[in-house]
Amino acid sequence: MARRSASGNLVRPFSFFRSGQRADAAASNRPILVLENVYKFFRPDVPVLRDINLEVERGEFVFITGPSGAGKSTLIQLVYRKHTPDEGQILFCGRDIARLTRASIPFLRRNLGIVFQDFKVVPHWSVFDNVAVPLEILEMPPRIVRSRVAEALERVGLAGRGDDRTSGLSGGEQQRVAVARAIVTEPALVLADEPTGNLDPHLALDILTLFEEINATGVTVLFATHDHSLLEARPHRLVMLDEGQLIEARQGLRGWGAEIGSDVDVDVAALDDMRVTMAG
Amino acid sequence: MDLKTTFARAKRGIKEDVRLYVVAVWTLTVAFLFLAASLLAMANLSQIADRWGQSGRLTIYLRDGARPSDVEQLRMALEALPEVREIEQVSPSTAREQFLDGSSVSGELAALPPDVFPSSLDVTIAPGTPAARLTSITERIARFGAVEGAETYRSWFDRVDALLAAAGVAAGIVALLVAICVIAVVANTIRLAVAGRRDEIEVLKLCGATDGFVRGPFLVEGAAQGLAASVFATMILAIAFVVLRAPVDTVLGTLAGVSAVFLHPLVVVALLVGGAAIGALGSALSLGRYLAT
Repeated sequence: MARRSASGNLVRPFSFFRSGQRADAAASNRPILVLENVYKFFRPDVPVLRDINLEVERGEFVFITGPSGAGKSTLIQLVYRKHTPDEGQILFCGRDIARLTRASIPFLRRNLGIVFQDFKVVPHWSVFDNVAVPLEILEMPPRIVRSRVAEALERVGLAGRGDDRTSGLSGGEQQRVAVARAIVTEPALVLADEPTGNLDPHLALDILTLFEEINATGVTVLFATHDHSLLEARPHRLVMLDEGQLIEARQGLRGWGAEIGSDVDVDVAALDDMRVTMAG
Repeated sequence: MDLKTTFARAKRGIKEDVRLYVVAVWTLTVAFLFLAASLLAMANLSQIADRWGQSGRLTIYLRDGARPSDVEQLRMALEALPEVREIEQVSPSTAREQFLDGSSVSGELAALPPDVFPSSLDVTIAPGTPAARLTSITERIARFGAVEGAETYRSWFDRVDALLAAAGVAAGIVALLVAICVIAVVANTIRLAVAGRRDEIEVLKLCGATDGFVRGPFLVEGAAQGLAASVFATMILAIAFVVLRAPVDTVLGTLAGVSAVFLHPLVVVALLVGGAAIGALGSALSLGRYLAT
């Protein structure tokens, strides 16, 4: 369980996942997320993810991209333990989350912020109620809940909109509510699964900027998207999934051409295919 | 889990599905009313049985031509018994009059002469005298020469007791059926509520809510339904009892010498607590499938 400091800020242990367990000091020196030889099958002999190896450092912003059905959402879902990998391990803050018991999964999710393409906000609740949910789960006092929700809404540009009914908001505003809910507990890692998929290009860029602002405060962001314009616009580390396999471009789509000369592991043809596929 | 948050979320859930809950509570009220009425009938039958069981009576039939001295000796022996409260000697003519007053007989029976009816002693026994003691007294009385026979009316009381036992079993079955009915209605109501709030449950689980956190408000909602229904049922029964008490008292007073009683306060408390518990159980049963996802 998260504890509060005297100032009311969340003190978030990372070697936890069960209420009452203490933080492991060494965990802060390790990558926040490590996937090692991860396989996921939904049908026998047809892996959705094949031998995935990935390290994400603290404070990184990583695009995960690839065509539809490539396994982007599955990768994200493995991290918040909607699914369990069939092989390999996923280390979050040094703990193998693939081996968590069902009862421990909620404690993992309390340390993540998750944003979806379809927003997953409760439409008949107010904006405040939607954003306050993670804090209520952490049993924060109402006074702290009010101040933290107000702060989160301000960060996403919805200051003073707490009493509005969520169903009355535009798509972009609903996604901002979802982002506010994801960051209100100041999680170590934010997972965004196609968060701009239902938004027009202008709003998509706004939302991306919002995630970058969140990332600038030290929060690690995994941003799954197949929107080529977003990948073109920002030079973040790029992880591409294609037919379940992972290809990386550390300097993003814009720098891929220069990078391939120095990195023999990068599959040039695959990146080229990806550019063609996604641009088309 | 924070109880305040749980109750606040349950209150919000009820407000969102208020129409559904009104229908469910009404259905449950009918079921609980059936149960409470059965319990009320049992309480009053039991009271009648107690009353009859306590008003012990013994009729000693005297032989034809029994000598007055033998009858006097018998009377003295009875008076010596601590359980005997009153002795009344009934002559053949008095017995005939009582028979004709207490029944609508045809002309031929009305023409019966007094000597058809035996002389007897009507003995009033102290309330609460055990049946075994009454049997023992009857056996000792039968040894007196003036005694033709004795009637304790135990067989009648035994029948009433058997009837009450059967009524008790019937009430038990009704209680079981009502419990099943309540669980089914609550489970289905909560299932409908849960189906309508799947998005809410999904959001809660994605934000790290434990099963207990998700389940809590639904349990409160189920318990509230059961409690509200049992309260309404008790209130309706109490109102009906007050309205119908006067005519029922007249009938019961004439037949059994008792007045109608309402449910014992402990039974009312048990009904309310049981209603809440069954409501919560129905809710818990309906949630399992949704929490597994």
